[in-house]
Amino acid sequence: MVQARLESLPVIALLAAIGLFLCSLANALARATLAPTELIYWLGLLIIALPIFFRLSSTKPSYRERFALVLLLGLALYGVKLVHDSIFFTFSDEFVHAFNAHNIAQYHHLYHFNPAIPTTPYYPGLEGATSSLMMLTGMSSYGAGIFVVGAARLTFMAALFFLFARLSGSARGAGLGVAIYAGTSNFLFWGVQFSYESLSLPLLVVVLMAFAEREEAPPAYRSAWAVPIVLGILAITITHHLSSYALAAIFVALAVLYRVMKVERPNPWPFALLSVGAALGWLLIAARSTTGYLFPVLEEAIKAIAKTASGESAPRTLFHQASTTAEVVASTPLAARAVALLAVAALAALIFLGLRVLRRRDERREPLVILLCVGALAFFAALTLRFAPAAWETGNRAGGYFFLGVAFVGIYGAAEFLRRGPNLLRRRVLLTGALGIVLVGGAISGWPWDIQLARPLQATADGNEVDSESLAVAEWARERLDGSRFAAPEATARTLLAPGGQVAFGGQGPDIEDIVDEPQLESWQLPLLEQHNLPYVVADRRLISEDTLRGMYFTVKDQYGSALREPGVVHKFSRIPAGRIWEGGHISVFNLEDRP
Amino acid sequence: MKGHRDLKLACLAAVLCALVAALVPWEIVRLVAALPLTLFLPGYAIVAAAFGSRELVLPKRIVLSVATSLMTLVLGAFVLNVFPFGLRTASWAVLLPLVVVGAARGAALRRDPAARGARRRTAIPRPGAASLALVAVAVLIAAAALVLAQKPLPAKNAVGYSALWMLPTDSREDAVAVGVISNEHDYTSYRLEVNVGNSRSKTYRVHLYPGEEQVYEVDVPPRASGRTHVVATLYRKGRPEHVYRRVNSWLPRQTTFP
Repeated sequence: MVQARLESLPVIALLAAIGLFLCSLANALARATLAPTELIYWLGLLIIALPIFFRLSSTKPSYRERFALVLLLGLALYGVKLVHDSIFFTFSDEFVHAFNAHNIAQYHHLYHFNPAIPTTPYYPGLEGATSSLMMLTGMSSYGAGIFVVGAARLTFMAALFFLFARLSGSARGAGLGVAIYAGTSNFLFWGVQFSYESLSLPLLVVVLMAFAEREEAPPAYRSAWAVPIVLGILAITITHHLSSYALAAIFVALAVLYRVMKVERPNPWPFALLSVGAALGWLLIAARSTTGYLFPVLEEAIKAIAKTASGESAPRTLFHQASTTAEVVASTPLAARAVALLAVAALAALIFLGLRVLRRRDERREPLVILLCVGALAFFAALTLRFAPAAWETGNRAGGYFFLGVAFVGIYGAAEFLRRGPNLLRRRVLLTGALGIVLVGGAISGWPWDIQLARPLQATADGNEVDSESLAVAEWARERLDGSRFAAPEATARTLLAPGGQVAFGGQGPDIEDIVDEPQLESWQLPLLEQHNLPYVVADRRLISEDTLRGMYFTVKDQYGSALREPGVVHKFSRIPAGRIWEGGHISVFNLEDRP
Repeated sequence: MKGHRDLKLACLAAVLCALVAALVPWEIVRLVAALPLTLFLPGYAIVAAAFGSRELVLPKRIVLSVATSLMTLVLGAFVLNVFPFGLRTASWAVLLPLVVVGAARGAALRRDPAARGARRRTAIPRPGAASLALVAVAVLIAAAALVLAQKPLPAKNAVGYSALWMLPTDSREDAVAVGVISNEHDYTSYRLEVNVGNSRSKTYRVHLYPGEEQVYEVDVPPRASGRTHVVATLYRKGRPEHVYRRVNSWLPRQTTFP
């Protein structure tokens, strides 16, 4: 009786809220620079998830209760992202997409130039959708964006539940499958940032769900289910390149499997044709710059794999920071690394068990199930990419798609583990623990350890709000300069994009990074700035200024942001001479058109 | 749409929400109207049109409605972009109700006349008072978590700073605005000196609380030839000889690069 009450949905919802509050408290203490123990945060995360996992492992909940539980899980974990950085978008890609949304709202049309990632305006699905809420409510891209991404996250959780329930024939399995998926490394933060894939991946899962429903539906229902499939294919095509290619690949593979396996139901080749045609058509007609953006990354990844495999270059150290320009950051503690590796081991065990069970089941004859099984195996193959320096990000990104297979096969592994026996309660507890490790391990491997908790972008002093230097420059530019063109270190360039609303170049294409980072003015630097018409130059002494994840926050004594570049990075512009129109201590802004 | 109460309600709600979102000045009221208009109603009508009289369980209908609404927003932006007026409050406020009314009309035509008024009502379980109380407490705690996250907090270890800036006040460039921004932790006093050319100098005493900004306008007299060099220097009260911040400008500005 007591156990039944403790496992009831309202109690679990209350625990999820308490867990969310603990996460918020840990982040608040971190923003207050009090260096709280991260245990508060991880405890909060587990208080959210474990009761839900435990209840999902039970045989008692109804279909609707399981459905409510997966929605609660999605909502509460989305809340963890929201309490990490409320007020502004702070993830590096979020500035880029917020700038696009701001441009749509300002100029009333799509496809405005974005200096940070020029491909993004040509995939305007997320920003277009967000702009509707921005315009109809008067909200900022942040306010509108969190509703759109939140709706997408809830849709994702529900669609994944329906997909797994349809394919496995078990609501209990479906709930556990969604719980396993929460352990993918991109689930907690990356998958709910204001970025195109946060919308496209949920829509992809909706399309797969609609396809699975259509396959099981009577012939009279098939045209009805085709509507969300077709709309989804078209929406994904103009939302995100990789998702549209992944969807096209899935449908092509399904069409081939239907043919080879002589499946009696209609072959899905029309969907394959539509998804391939739409993706190719969009690439060739509207988004040609994608090839120049995407393919070099893939080429580098392939080269890196070859070099690492042949021993030509050393393998990447796991849990190592990729950035060479960032100041030294706290490395992931040994215990956290152990949890992340344990999570992979737990997943491998579930997949091993799951594949063994699936070999004996009728579902193995379903083409979509076969694809998901291949995806599960591909996930573990993609894990090896983490050892190749230039390929780890490709592997990490692909993991979000392959993990659909891991979660599905994991259902059968979990079911096998939970098979009725004298120690069912103990097995449920063990499975809940394993799922908790998978969730925490995924979060650890998906986001750098030192920024799992928030940093101060704004603070209060004497009851008033004070801004970090990067934010203050951005706010000043927004108020005083009207869409001016800047060259800046990447972190400040991102805040100048949003909320600054300026056209700010950073990074290496063109090579702004060397212009703002080198202490000497080289002969090629001013001509390059003139060629790209960049009169405003931001010089930043902080070593962290090129780091788009850490460079926009306050410097905190004895913690981060205090390592400096040589004074020459600022003085070289003074010596041109050029007008210095802002000085904030670490950051100076020069106007190259302002001179004697 | 006679006999299809849900479709009629969806159409009415779409038109009403669009009017409220487009015309009411209060953001929170507009949000309450815009959320169903953007994230539910278009999808609900499209799903109703697609499925006609066929049954679809309530959870799936709701999820498909939200998902299809998201798809509609994505494709709607693409469609609106084709027109010269583009994506505006008015164009969204017209397009979305049009989609809802059009799809609802299609749904009414596709539904079996015999099924009119015979749609099965889904039984929604009624939670007890204790359950409702627990959920209400959960909502309050979650709201407190979000409010805490929105609130900037004192951060004593964050390194405070002050910024000095200077820009021409307008395109004529016959005056500059010089601003001092305090992002310090405490009330701070400064001395600001502004030198215009070689002759004129102005001194200001500046006292700022954290988060405050003070802006001064300084005239720059026109010169027959050449440019006037304007230099603003900020000193902190405790270190009056030590230059704390300095900005400078040559007016009128050039339009070419060095």
